[in-house]
Amino acid sequence: MEKPRWSTKFFKKNILIKKPMKVQIELFGASREFSNQNFLEFNIKNDSTIKDIRKNLIDYLIKNFNGNENFIKIVNSSVFSSNDNIISDNYKITNNEKIAIIPPIGGG
Amino acid sequence: MLHTKIIDIKDKKLSLVEAEQFISSSDFGASIFFSGTVRNQNNNKSVTGITYDSHDSLVLKSFEEIYNEADQKLNIRDKAVFIEHAKGYLNLGEISIIIAVACKHRDEAYILSRYIIEEIKKRSPIWKKEHYQNNETDWLKGNPIQYEKN
Repeated sequence: MEKPRWSTKFFKKNILIKKPMKVQIELFGASREFSNQNFLEFNIKNDSTIKDIRKNLIDYLIKNFNGNENFIKIVNSSVFSSNDNIISDNYKITNNEKIAIIPPIGGG
Repeated sequence: MLHTKIIDIKDKKLSLVEAEQFISSSDFGASIFFSGTVRNQNNNKSVTGITYDSHDSLVLKSFEEIYNEADQKLNIRDKAVFIEHAKGYLNLGEISIIIAVACKHRDEAYILSRYIIEEIKKRSPIWKKEHYQNNETDWLKGNPIQYEKN
């Protein structure tokens, strides 16, 4: 007989026991001014995306840098990378994933 | 034939001699050496030096992609390319980037050299922080990397 989809086991595993996740954001270029360290770390909800990370970063800047407009502009004009690939705003973060913020570039 | 490297300026300086050694071959009749150096003025400010920051692995990946594209987009198959970029603090006049290319003919060499530097400007995650005479510093604004947002 097929098990009911919402068994207690399934419910515990997928709904109740979901813990918040951690993400580490490596800082580059102008975003290095966001911290004395080379990275920021946030606790995030399950299924968070890059869109949520942008919001986390902006909340952090409002709290710690009085909403510095230039810093917020940097976040909004940056892309993010994971495992040496540029990732889209819909990319779902996994627990303890390390991503990098890539502000507007200009080498040479 | 490709050589790419990010050079931490604390360890060594970029070397045109090494670039020449790498691309030198009797297979090629034309060589172009491009070097970028730190200049003393930008946006009416007196610059004293530049700190370069780099996402090393993404930068090296972009250099390889640009090199491989030259086959398809420019149809330049026989070539030697040497690309090095500095990271860390550079004084005025010091070399921040070397792009050395060797091809069979001069037309290809000029086109390839120009293509590589323009693509690096658009795609390689490298950043500049300028240092000024009044001891202030400023990260240059740069250009956002183009990508599919969704």
